[in-house]
Amino acid sequence: MTTIVVNGVKREVQAPADTPLLYVLRNDLELSGPQFGCGMAQCGACSVLLNGKEVRSCITTLGSVAGKDVTTLEGLPARWAQHKGLSAADAAKTLHPIQAAWIEEQTPLCGFCQNGMMIKATELLEHTTSPSVAEIKEAFTTSGPSPHLCRCGSYTAIIQAVQRAASAMKGSQA
Amino acid sequence: MSNSIDVFGAALSRRGFVKAGGVLLAGFGLAKAEGQQKAGVVDSLNPALAESWIEIHDDNTILIRTGKSDFGQGTIFTAYRQIVAEELCVPFEAITTVVSGDTDRTPDGGGTFDLLGHGMPNIRKAAAYVHHALLDLAAQRLAVPKDQLSVKDGVVSGGGKSLSYGDLVKGQKLNLTIPMKGDVNSMFGLVVDGNPPLKPVSQYTIVGKSFPNSVTVPKVTAKETWVTDVRLPGMMHARVVHPKTLGSKLVSVGALDKARCPNTQVVVKGNLVGVVAPTEWEAVKAGQQVASGTKWADWKGLPGDRRLFQFLKEDADWKTAPVAASKTNKGDVAAAMASSPKKLSATYQLPYLKHAPIGPTMAVADFRSDGTVYVYTHTQNAQALRTGIAHMLSTPVDRVVVRTFAGPGHYGRSNGGNAGAEDEAVILSQAVGKPVRVQWTRQDDLQWSTQSSAALSDVEIALDAKGGLSGYEINHYMPAMQDDRLVGAILAGLPTIPAPNEKGSVFGVANSMHDPWVYDAAPAVLERAYGTGQVGQNSSPLNVGLRDHSMRTPGQYQQNFPRELAITEAAALAGIDPLQFRLQHASEKRLLGVLESVRENSGWESRSKRPGVSNGVSRGQGVSVMFRSGTYWACVAHIAVNMASGAIKVEKVTVAVDPGIVVNPAQLKRQVEGGAVMGVSMALLEELRFDESGITANDWRSYPIATMADAPEIKVVLIHNPEVGTYGQGSEAANALAAPAIAGALFDATGKIARRLPLKPDYVQTLLKA
Repeated sequence: MTTIVVNGVKREVQAPADTPLLYVLRNDLELSGPQFGCGMAQCGACSVLLNGKEVRSCITTLGSVAGKDVTTLEGLPARWAQHKGLSAADAAKTLHPIQAAWIEEQTPLCGFCQNGMMIKATELLEHTTSPSVAEIKEAFTTSGPSPHLCRCGSYTAIIQAVQRAASAMKGSQA
Repeated sequence: MSNSIDVFGAALSRRGFVKAGGVLLAGFGLAKAEGQQKAGVVDSLNPALAESWIEIHDDNTILIRTGKSDFGQGTIFTAYRQIVAEELCVPFEAITTVVSGDTDRTPDGGGTFDLLGHGMPNIRKAAAYVHHALLDLAAQRLAVPKDQLSVKDGVVSGGGKSLSYGDLVKGQKLNLTIPMKGDVNSMFGLVVDGNPPLKPVSQYTIVGKSFPNSVTVPKVTAKETWVTDVRLPGMMHARVVHPKTLGSKLVSVGALDKARCPNTQVVVKGNLVGVVAPTEWEAVKAGQQVASGTKWADWKGLPGDRRLFQFLKEDADWKTAPVAASKTNKGDVAAAMASSPKKLSATYQLPYLKHAPIGPTMAVADFRSDGTVYVYTHTQNAQALRTGIAHMLSTPVDRVVVRTFAGPGHYGRSNGGNAGAEDEAVILSQAVGKPVRVQWTRQDDLQWSTQSSAALSDVEIALDAKGGLSGYEINHYMPAMQDDRLVGAILAGLPTIPAPNEKGSVFGVANSMHDPWVYDAAPAVLERAYGTGQVGQNSSPLNVGLRDHSMRTPGQYQQNFPRELAITEAAALAGIDPLQFRLQHASEKRLLGVLESVRENSGWESRSKRPGVSNGVSRGQGVSVMFRSGTYWACVAHIAVNMASGAIKVEKVTVAVDPGIVVNPAQLKRQVEGGAVMGVSMALLEELRFDESGITANDWRSYPIATMADAPEIKVVLIHNPEVGTYGQGSEAANALAAPAIAGALFDATGKIARRLPLKPDYVQTLLKA
């Protein structure tokens, strides 16, 4: 039995400690945000935030995250609501500005990689409020274990969505 | 209504009255399908009934059905809704539900490609029939002649009275029988027949606007049910241990450590080895264990990537399959060559590519005790997959249901039904008597899926004394590119359709002319396409080899790269700017329009001399054009070449696209941007590596694709040309434009012609040193 905190909720998991976190999130906790893309930390489709840092859940074992905070795509609205100090009622109606920007920009094509893209954007914008295009490219290409890959080629739309989200998050903080 | 009403060849009848609700063309087909499931037999919807296509509900909401599915184009959720709303004269938002891709819930079948070409007329005509049926109903109810009625936002008005569509169907169950032809299991599916009057394009108010894609919100908020989310009661997880080579038969199966994998079952059927376990992690570990001890026969029957083009040139049989000649061939090319003062002769080579979806193929199958089979997957042609599964099991097709879910786009790989895991899931589910989920690994997906065919082309060009194109001959060579056999069935020794052979048509080994000629001014043109069997297939004891499958802009990409690069070379030989050279040889107004558009919008510089090298970097510009599925395209690439390393950075891509009617500008723009990035990826990075036994690429490092850092600045210019009156395709072609434009830009920057792809630094460096 391993205890992990997923999207702010303590969860007890029966799976063996060497189970990749991705399988725990998808199969035991029935979350659908993180996706299996390669199983080798080479694409980013499975990304989650671990104590605020983007990690690849496909190579992260359950045992290594015991007691730590895991945020998935499902948890982004609550993460934003907590950051803004919103009431529970308002939080339930809120989207994370990154998700709102992804919708406004009509970013996804097939959309399979976009979980990791939004998770990476969250990590970036929590630290860098007004990233330049070069900083965005660095975040999605060289900052992690591998570039975040999109086969449909939505990179232009992702850059535009990150910029839109950045100004929304800044505006909201002013 | 007394008897049935004739609606331009369709028949409208009332099937009864209901106390609550009311519907034109209610969900009868769906109810029938559910009823039949209980009896262990499952049918498709009856496509002759409009209820199979469109439902008008008494609350003014509308449901539409299409056998096509979404692969990231968004077309069925945006353009199809817009086109139906337009014909019906209802708001876009009135279409609240799109049912797609399930064999028991959609009418037409056919592959998900050319959605605005062969796919669109079905849904548009169905909508037109329904629109006229509603007008006939309104004429009766309002006692006003049909030609004096008008419709706005789903409300019919005439004679000072009005009724909504919902009012017209309230309290009734109405049926509309639409004339149909074709075969639901074929590549193109069923076709709506007849010619109901269509709304004139000049009256369009919905087509042409940027409505959002309705699946974006669920996908961004983790509410979408992806194929990866399908969970059935009692479902088991499986991995398949694929053979060591593309020709290896099974010798012996590796042992399983029962202490580590206590609940795993090993299933062996012919050369198919699978492990099935209650948890995914146990299945993964069991798969690795069994694989490490399993012995396979050795096989060497491939030329290897290093010898591929020598093999295609010298060893492959191009004589058996019929040769395709272009319909636009004309003039005496030999005479033009004989009299030309300036000639060019060159060979161009394109490697095998992978569709490379971001998620490897996976599927869930439920082989039930009553013999019915349910397959849950992400497919571009659910009816064809259904037929293939039934064939494999030697069972009637009506005992198989395929349900389609959102998944990672794979760009044509399953347009003949199968992407890889479905048949294996069915075989394993039958073996263990439980629903089984088969997930391929990244390595499986690279090594056991189909590839986009390699190709080579020989070109001869003659110029006249003024530098005009006086003769053009091209001979294209490409192995068969449409192998829709189920690979699990092949491995298990179960029935499949035949491998591509000289007798097949769509699935044969013959090549076709895919790239329409566009330079009308040339007086003598000879284009031919030669086909051959798949490399290694005949000598493989498994009859597998390098299986090929159409991929985004199939065949045309392979033919357009050599043509467009050769035209750029011809322009240089003539001493004319390559964009100007194209303008001089084209006459189609729309082609001239896209060329002039990229010239203006890209910052194209007309010049006869190359720009110099600055700080070790040389910059260049290149252009390409294409006509595909009713759409004219032009592309300009601006690149920077590192003269020391040979590395190419694509700095800017400008694309002008004239599809005739632009249905949804914002969505089309995103499609073109995405295609441009895929095109840069294909041009610079992609090449399938294989040795004499099989594919050696096994991860994203050995089959790299473009990253965000590789993505250029992209400028998309949409040219809305409603007077053309047709919807051209928008989501394909964009990927094929970049490579010839980039190679042209490399020539502009360095004076070096790179006639094979990809343009990797070591290749470019070799050219620079030569």
